Amino acid sequence: MKPAPFDYYRPATVEDALAALGTSETAKVLAGGQSLIPAMNFRLSQPDLLVDIGGVEGFDRLEVGPSGVMIGASVTQSRVMASDEVANTVPGLRRALHHVAHLQIRNRGTICGSIAHADPAAELPALAIACGATLFLQGPAGERTVDAGDFFLGPFWTELGEGELITGVHFPSEPADTVTFLDELAWRSGDFAITGLAGALATRGGSVSGARMVSFGVSGAPRRMTGAEQAVLGFSAGDDGSAVYGAAYDDGADAVDDVHATAEYRREALGALAVRSVRAALATNGNGTGV
Amino acid sequence: MMGTNPGSREVDVSATVNGTQVTHRVPARLLLSDFIRDVVGLTGTHVGCEHGYCGACTVIVDGDAIRSCSTLAAQADGSTIRTVEDLATDGDLTPMQQAFHENHAMQCGFCTAGFLMTLESVDPDDYREPEQVVDLLSGNLCRCTGYQNIVNAVCSVWEVERD
Repeated sequence: MKPAPFDYYRPATVEDALAALGTSETAKVLAGGQSLIPAMNFRLSQPDLLVDIGGVEGFDRLEVGPSGVMIGASVTQSRVMASDEVANTVPGLRRALHHVAHLQIRNRGTICGSIAHADPAAELPALAIACGATLFLQGPAGERTVDAGDFFLGPFWTELGEGELITGVHFPSEPADTVTFLDELAWRSGDFAITGLAGALATRGGSVSGARMVSFGVSGAPRRMTGAEQAVLGFSAGDDGSAVYGAAYDDGADAVDDVHATAEYRREALGALAVRSVRAALATNGNGTGV
Repeated sequence: MMGTNPGSREVDVSATVNGTQVTHRVPARLLLSDFIRDVVGLTGTHVGCEHGYCGACTVIVDGDAIRSCSTLAAQADGSTIRTVEDLATDGDLTPMQQAFHENHAMQCGFCTAGFLMTLESVDPDDYREPEQVVDLLSGNLCRCTGYQNIVNAVCSVWEVERD
C-alpha cells in the first residue's frame, strides 16, 4: 500500500510542466492527488514521473466576473465551496460540492483534477456538462478549449491528449431563470454515487421551459439524459412526474451492474432522482430560495 | 527524441511539525503519514486503509484537515503540520479529548486521533445542528462506537443540543 518509486518534479511554470510531461510516456500530473495517490498506493497507477502542478504560476487563480467563474488547475474544492462570490454567480458549484467526498479530501482535491480524472461516478464532470462549462487545455500543440459536453469519452478516459493538461475550467454565470442542481444516491454521505443526476432547469410561469440533465454513476461516463430533457418541458408543480420518471428510466438503458447495485436498481433510482430533483428545483425558482 | 526527465527520486522536505522545524531528505514516494510516523517519529497518527477512505491518518496542514495517506511528504514541503501530539499540554487534555474520555467516545482508539484532528481544524460556529456535526464526522470511520458517543462528546463541548 505504498506507491512504486517515481521521480518527482515541481515546476513553477506551465511551460516547464509541459516540457517535463514530454519526457515520459507514463508521466502523470499531480494536482490534489486525492484520486491519483490512492491509485498509486494500490499500484493501479505506476507513473515513472509525477509533475506536481501545485506551484505553477497562475494555476491558483479563482476569478469571478460577469460571464462566470474561472477556476485554475490547482484551486481546491474547499476554496471554491467557501467563496460566496462563486456561490452567487454559479450556485450549482457549492450545492454540488456538498456531495463531493469529505472535508479532508475537498481540502486538497481540485475541481480540474476531478474533471481530468473522469471517474464515471464523480459529481464534478456531470456538473460541468450540466452547467455548460468550458475546459482550457494546454499541450505540446498549444492551447485549445473543449466544451465539457465533448470532453468525457468513457471511464477515466477524456479528450486530453498525450502530454496535455487542463489549465482551468470556466463555469458560466447561472441565468436568472435557471436553477442548477445535483442530487445523488450513495452508501455514505460523501461517497461516490451509485446513481446521480446533475441538471440545469429554466422555468417560465411556474413550469419548466428548458432543461439540461446529466446522469453519473450510472454508466461508463456522465451522460446527457435526452429523453428526460424532453419529457420535463412544461412540467409544473401539480404534475404527477410519471412521464419524467419513465423517460429518465429509459435514459438509463446502458446502466451497469456492479457490487453496489444492479442496472435495474440504477435505472429506477435515476427515475426517482429525476422527479425529486426537478420538483425541488422548480420550488426553488418559484420562491427564490436555495435548494 | 524525448528530453531529460527533470524529476528526482529523493526530495528535501522542510516543515514545522507541532512547532518544531524539521528537515529531512526522503524518497519522493514517501507518504506524509509515513513521514510523520517513521521519519519524524510521531506515532499518534494512525494509518488505517491507506487509500483515503477511513480518515484515521487525518492531520492538519496549514490549518486544513487532510488525509496524510493521500498526500506525499514532498507536497508538504514548506508547510506547518499539526498532529494529535500537539493537542494535550503537559498531559492536560483539551476539552474535546476530555469529552471523548467522559462520553466513552472510543473503544479501541485507533480512529480517535483522526476524529480529534478533524474536529480541531474547524470553527464550531459552523456546526450548530446535530446533523451538521454528523455530516462533519462522515469523513472518519469508527468500527467500535457506533458513532453515537462521539457525536455526544462533540455536542457536549460545542454546546449543540441533541434531540
